[in-house]
Amino acid sequence: MNREQLIEDLKGQIIEQLNLQQVTPADIKADDPLFNEGLGLDSIDALELIVLLQQKYSVKLANAEDGPKVFQSVGSIADFIIATKAEKS
Amino acid sequence: MDPLTGLKALSGNRFTCEEPDYMQLIEPKLIRRMSRIIRMGVATAMDALEQAGVKDPSAIITGTAYGCLEDTGIFLQRMVENKEEMLTPTAFIQSTHNTVGAQVALLLKCHSYNNTYVQRGHSFETALLDTMLLLGENPAASVLVGSADETTNQSFVLLERFGLFRHQASGEGACYFVAGVSPAAGSLAKMAGLKTIFQPGDHAVEKAVHSLLSQNGMKPADIHILLTGRTNEPSTATYYGMVEKTIFPLTPAGQFKSLCGEYPTASAFAFWLAAKILKQQSVPSIICPSFTGQLKNILIYNIDTAGYHSLMLLTAC
Repeated sequence: MNREQLIEDLKGQIIEQLNLQQVTPADIKADDPLFNEGLGLDSIDALELIVLLQQKYSVKLANAEDGPKVFQSVGSIADFIIATKAEKS
Repeated sequence: MDPLTGLKALSGNRFTCEEPDYMQLIEPKLIRRMSRIIRMGVATAMDALEQAGVKDPSAIITGTAYGCLEDTGIFLQRMVENKEEMLTPTAFIQSTHNTVGAQVALLLKCHSYNNTYVQRGHSFETALLDTMLLLGENPAASVLVGSADETTNQSFVLLERFGLFRHQASGEGACYFVAGVSPAAGSLAKMAGLKTIFQPGDHAVEKAVHSLLSQNGMKPADIHILLTGRTNEPSTATYYGMVEKTIFPLTPAGQFKSLCGEYPTASAFAFWLAAKILKQQSVPSIICPSFTGQLKNILIYNIDTAGYHSLMLLTAC
């Protein structure tokens, strides 16, 4: 899966996991902020996203301090998944 | 449409609620974390407050036997599937019994007294009792009181195996009322009295009925409709028969569980039904065909499957 495909996959997973009402993948831009502005996610959603990364992409967020940077946008999450998987292999 | 006109007896062994378009009632951003029972509870609470013209209730009191079953099921299922690891927080947070009352308070930014009673077949009655006690202490208060119980696919299968729906369909429902001491222009009815009995022995129900009536200066002839939770369940037939035939032989009796099904807070549906009948001064033919005469006092008698008996007396305002 390349970066673009991963981003599209992530959008669908986030919409489903967070039960985002009236939001389609097309409404989410790769660099849109996820928290506060943008999708307006909150701290409970952050926990849901951490579990989503572990369950669907087998990627674990080891340092909580990295959270704000990783979860900045769908694009930054995709970059984190790609980088972590590259490190593992 | 007038809710009393739309009443109909349902068929099958599982009745589900007719739900509104929640998007019209609750903000989409808030609705996404609300499971079905929370949406049902929040929607009815908001509607009751709007009808009563109350924005900031003095208390929020809820009765529920099952709580938020759907989220409880999701949480437990994930716990098993994921071997107690990687559990998501939302289902856990929303699985507690007091979630409905808490969500209503969060939406209203209401920091007042908030309590949820989980008393099986007396959950709604206990919420009402607390309401009456609160209003006794503070007559100026306006209390949001109600109940919410849902049936999920899992709970239906499990309870059906126990034989709970052999003689009456499974049901579910949510409702809220605004209660105060002074009647207002839109008040539906007056809550005159309440009695609860658990697995009563001989004559206990009869004594409770006479006691409730005498506390309100009434005789059996003063009850204009007896609204019962009678079903085809043989174990409760003796009690209902005694109340209908021995105490109230001349009073028209109607049954409400053919409309809402069997669930631990079904008496709340009867409470709403009785209040609407008294307000509109009209009895749906499905309850009492060709009812005529005075319509001032309604007595609700309900038995939940586990032996929880309750009597609620409502009078016209």
